[in-house]
Amino acid sequence: MNYILKKEDFPKFLELLKKKFGKVIVPAKNETGATCFQSYSGQELFLESRTDFSAKEFFRPAKEKMFSFKKKSSSFEVKSEHDNTKKVLFGIRPCGTHALSTLDELFIKFLGEDNFYSDKRKNTIIIALQCNEACENGFCTSMGTSQASGHDLLFIERGHDFFVRAETKQGTDLLDPTLFKHTSDAEPSSKIECKNELDIEGLGENLYANFNHSVWKEESERCLSCTSCTQSCPTCYCYTSNDEFVFGSGTESERFRVLDSCQLQRFTKVSGNHVFRPSREGRLRQFVLHKFSYYKKYHGMHLCVGCGRCITACPVKISLVDIANKIQKHPLEFQKHSLEAKK
Amino acid sequence: MSVKKVKVGFFSLTCCEGCEFAVFDLEEKLLKAFDYLEIVESRVLMEKIKPEAVRLDISFVEGSVISKHDLDKLHYIRKKTDFLVALGACAAIAGINGIRNALPEGVQERMKQKAIIPVKEKAFSLSAFVKVDYILNGCSVNELEFLDFLNRVLHGVIPRLEEVPVCFECKLNGNACLLLKGIPCLGPVTYAGCDALCPGQNAQCIGCRGFTKDANFKSLDNLLKEMGIGKKERFNLFTYFNPLPKELRDLRGGSE
Repeated sequence: MNYILKKEDFPKFLELLKKKFGKVIVPAKNETGATCFQSYSGQELFLESRTDFSAKEFFRPAKEKMFSFKKKSSSFEVKSEHDNTKKVLFGIRPCGTHALSTLDELFIKFLGEDNFYSDKRKNTIIIALQCNEACENGFCTSMGTSQASGHDLLFIERGHDFFVRAETKQGTDLLDPTLFKHTSDAEPSSKIECKNELDIEGLGENLYANFNHSVWKEESERCLSCTSCTQSCPTCYCYTSNDEFVFGSGTESERFRVLDSCQLQRFTKVSGNHVFRPSREGRLRQFVLHKFSYYKKYHGMHLCVGCGRCITACPVKISLVDIANKIQKHPLEFQKHSLEAKK
Repeated sequence: MSVKKVKVGFFSLTCCEGCEFAVFDLEEKLLKAFDYLEIVESRVLMEKIKPEAVRLDISFVEGSVISKHDLDKLHYIRKKTDFLVALGACAAIAGINGIRNALPEGVQERMKQKAIIPVKEKAFSLSAFVKVDYILNGCSVNELEFLDFLNRVLHGVIPRLEEVPVCFECKLNGNACLLLKGIPCLGPVTYAGCDALCPGQNAQCIGCRGFTKDANFKSLDNLLKEMGIGKKERFNLFTYFNPLPKELRDLRGGSE
């Protein structure tokens, strides 16, 4: 069913959601000038393009308490954490909805239910916002992620109003009849054309086969290992865990799950202080191959949704599209690596 | 249950004593730890210190070694301490005192001659002379990092030094990148632990927590050059708190 929401009624809609759910997450500018998702409290929204930082923070937070434990005389008392706050996420772009589906594949289907992720996922209603124009570095048309999927409502901006397509029951329930009117208009066309193009035909296999390609070294030479790429990425999920003592208690501790980055040497530091992926070249290759080769092999989909955030965020302009295209166009003559044979 | 308290001392070599103040600024948060520790020596906290003080479990030493007096004091502290912690940039990497190490030889020599007290030819970090067991870096030291260190040590765990750049924490906080805005910043080559305090306030990182082992100086220098930062400014920025990295030798002397 399709609806129309007038733009002047839009703030009313957000207020209504806030009243009903308590927490509405919207794209906006923070005080440093970066665009990210934050709780709605009447601030000006950023609706021009996709945000600099993804909505990952609300599903896989940078730091999240998993459980706390307390030493008793002969045993431990463990208290697990659950996040059951209902919330609405507005303004996630089609690429973002695909990023969530990609993470669902791992944290819900493959690993069994990871309750820290699935709790948040189940309790969040997703309102996607269609892109009318291609963003700066995006390549979603190549990745097949330019149309939203797995959302509850889809908003399409057109002149003075939003065209709203309801996908699920819980989405339809949000549509207050005083603000939303039925429409029989045809859905506005939402075909965009990205400047960046990536040929994904056999990409994973080809990148892995070119494990020793010179492009890895050339591109990684200027990498600062600042981790901007992995942290702005909506699908980079790699984490580590930390124990923190409750100050002065002597018997209580808490465990946190903390976002990590494959661009750091400490990521592969194992016992005895051995780092098994020390080179910058290896770290950059891991980032790209995990996205296009390994995830594809084990989960049947790319771990990249073509949002282009890693390209925008990189201070030294390293682009995974350029790397992939260079290899697609000029592959090694002698290829000794094969993804098929990889265990 | 009576607990044997950990004996702690605070010492200052040549510095502004700011790190000690930053630590005591924790006030009530620090008081919680007093069930487990006892401060035996501190010039800032105590009116009178018994000179033949007891053996120390942990010493926090701030300041650089610039004179023989400093050096003697450092050896004395090391001798009676089990676990020595370099507190702040001056102690850990020579910090502000180390600026003179990057000056031309002639200027250094004149400074040495004109100094009121006899000084060494250079300013040194503690590790140049004695074994340093742990480093709490920064100018001034991050009081929350200090508290976390104390918490872990009192639980019998020696924390790992986190080998991540400032950018990592900066991005965790959702800050816009200063380098992308065209502001020179040493975030990519500097150790984190400060919660990206300066870049979060739109101020450039000047490397007060020391350069990372994994730093890519050449690339950062190229980037700053492309941004239109002159050779002298780049030299000054890189040597603000740290010795000039050997990859950037070319920055020394002369103008562009």
